[in-house]
Amino acid sequence: MGLPATFRTNTFRLTLLILALFATAGAAFLGYVYFMTAGEISRLADMSITKEVATLDAIYQKGGAEAVRGAMIERTSIDQPFLYLLLDPSGRRIWGTIPDVPVGQSDERNIVWTHFKVAEARPDGSHETRPARGERQRLAGGEIMFVGADIGDTAAYVNKIVRAIWGGGVLVVLLGLGGGILISRNVSRSIGGLNAVIGAVKGGDMRARVALTGAGDEFEELGSGLNDMLDRLEHSIGSLRHAGDAIAHDLRSPLTRLRTRLEVAMLEVEAGKSDPQAALVQALEDADGVLRTFTAVLSISRLQAAGSAPDQVAFDPGQLAADVAELYEPVCEDQGLEFSSEIAGGLGVKANREFLSQALANLLDNAIKYTPAGGAVMLRVRKRSSGEVEFSVTDTGPGVPEDQRERVVQRFVRLENSRNRPGAGLGLPLVAAVAEAHGGRLELDEGPGKVGAMGPGLRVALVLPRVG
Amino acid sequence: MRILIVEDDAEAGAAMARGLREAGSDVVHAPDGVEGLKVAEAGGFDVLVVDRMMPNMDGLTMVETLRRHGDQTPVLFLSALGEIEDRVTGLRAGGDDYLVKPYAFAELIARVEALSRRRETGAVATTLRVGDLEMDLIGRVVRRDGKEIDLQPREFQLLEFLMRHAGQSVTRTMLLEKVWEYHFDPQTNVIDVHISRLRSKIDKGFDRAMLQTVRGAGYRLEA
Repeated sequence: MGLPATFRTNTFRLTLLILALFATAGAAFLGYVYFMTAGEISRLADMSITKEVATLDAIYQKGGAEAVRGAMIERTSIDQPFLYLLLDPSGRRIWGTIPDVPVGQSDERNIVWTHFKVAEARPDGSHETRPARGERQRLAGGEIMFVGADIGDTAAYVNKIVRAIWGGGVLVVLLGLGGGILISRNVSRSIGGLNAVIGAVKGGDMRARVALTGAGDEFEELGSGLNDMLDRLEHSIGSLRHAGDAIAHDLRSPLTRLRTRLEVAMLEVEAGKSDPQAALVQALEDADGVLRTFTAVLSISRLQAAGSAPDQVAFDPGQLAADVAELYEPVCEDQGLEFSSEIAGGLGVKANREFLSQALANLLDNAIKYTPAGGAVMLRVRKRSSGEVEFSVTDTGPGVPEDQRERVVQRFVRLENSRNRPGAGLGLPLVAAVAEAHGGRLELDEGPGKVGAMGPGLRVALVLPRVG
Repeated sequence: MRILIVEDDAEAGAAMARGLREAGSDVVHAPDGVEGLKVAEAGGFDVLVVDRMMPNMDGLTMVETLRRHGDQTPVLFLSALGEIEDRVTGLRAGGDDYLVKPYAFAELIARVEALSRRRETGAVATTLRVGDLEMDLIGRVVRRDGKEIDLQPREFQLLEFLMRHAGQSVTRTMLLEKVWEYHFDPQTNVIDVHISRLRSKIDKGFDRAMLQTVRGAGYRLEA
């Protein structure tokens, strides 16, 4: 479109609207001023003319046209500002200072007002035409009397006022337009900054941020809000991308393993060295392993990306823990482990039951997996003095060296001494993700001590914030 | 058993149909929800296996429509959507069971079998009987060959589920879901341990083992 960008801005349109309102108000105000000044001057002039007409009419009542003539002559000589003309009933001029009545004589109305021009000789001999105004009156005897006044000075005065009013008006409009353009430019610049950032982000640059000047105004606030939003988005997108990359990466090795095994099995079967059915069973088991890994990675990634576990409800965790304990107790006994549980009642947590159950199951799975026969596993649910609810699983296995504790919470980290055991190294990371998705945390500590030659054991605590 | 598979992935549908026919069922395959609805309304199926996401009409809508029309044929939903809320939506729409893709074929067969049996046990029974094993659901007493067997509450639930599905394979996942109501996969063989405990209680001292392990699938209680 033809208009420059500034004129198309909303701010400029708003300025125009305000300007129009302002101009209307100004016009009303100036009109009032005009009425009270220039208008008043004209009215005063009219009044003096009317008065003079009345005076002369009174003189006529007493002495007729002749007396009026005398009065006119007399009044002219004492430098009255009036212009006179007296005509007899037949329209002949009796006396006057102007050549003719500026209104038609045939007009039957008694009193007629009119504007007219008079030529006045200047001292240098030239003539000047000046505006005048007068009243014609038909006298009782049919004579026509005209009294006018040179309103040149008044008109000039009124003109000055009118010019001042126009000037003021034009100034208001110009200032308004100029101010509007200036404000619009300013606003446009601020919004332009925001738009540039939005454009950059749309274009794929998640790093673009609004430059903040520290002005503390609403644009600053908007920009800062936009920046915060972009930070969150970037973080979320980052987590998702990371999750995607991780899944791709994490599945590559087990899939490669599966493929290699199938290939080797095929070669062996072809060479008659292997049983096809055994190879298929092995392949199925491998595929199941890949699927388990995939499910676990997906759960962790989803929890991490969502930032908060879905479907959280408030409940007493005692029953949930008792159920998980009931599920695992026979497994412990089966593995020659002593199992005990200490579950405090009357606690409250707000959590997703399924995830919390799975987290506890993972902790018990781990404890059972890494504790040699003859050891002990304990599940405890209690309230900490801080008010937080702690779910802990303690074992008497080899434990995790202090400098490794942070590592084992990361995905796919498996310590050297666990390499020969099943698992993908996703148990603890999932528990950590569950803890975080509930606003809690995972703590790893040394266990309570040794049982015989075993220990010092591991104590893993899932700590959830208090409810209410 | 007559099964209708409603699955838009032709290859997956065909493989499923082949597998189920192999297992002795009569299988019809519909490629989308609209077709599936038409075939299902014609009736005569024991179980419907319905994919959730399909062109034309998704599985949820299809099953909702069926249920609205009064059809009570058991439905097993198949879906790549495995979150808890997806499961809940599926069951609310009228599904009877929910299987998350990808799944083991043994799991599918076991669940389809379990669903097909559901109808026959519709009457409220107070006693379950499988061979010489007898379960009194009200007195909560289990006897085999007249000899009372002492079971823990969870073992009782486990046996009840197995008895209700006697002769059918049930998988570890099914047991975990139906008896413990957990929808995750423990790394250790928890279910095996519980089963072996139950087995020692109901089979020990008898010359015939009723609780059998089905290779690659799970377990089966045989009369």
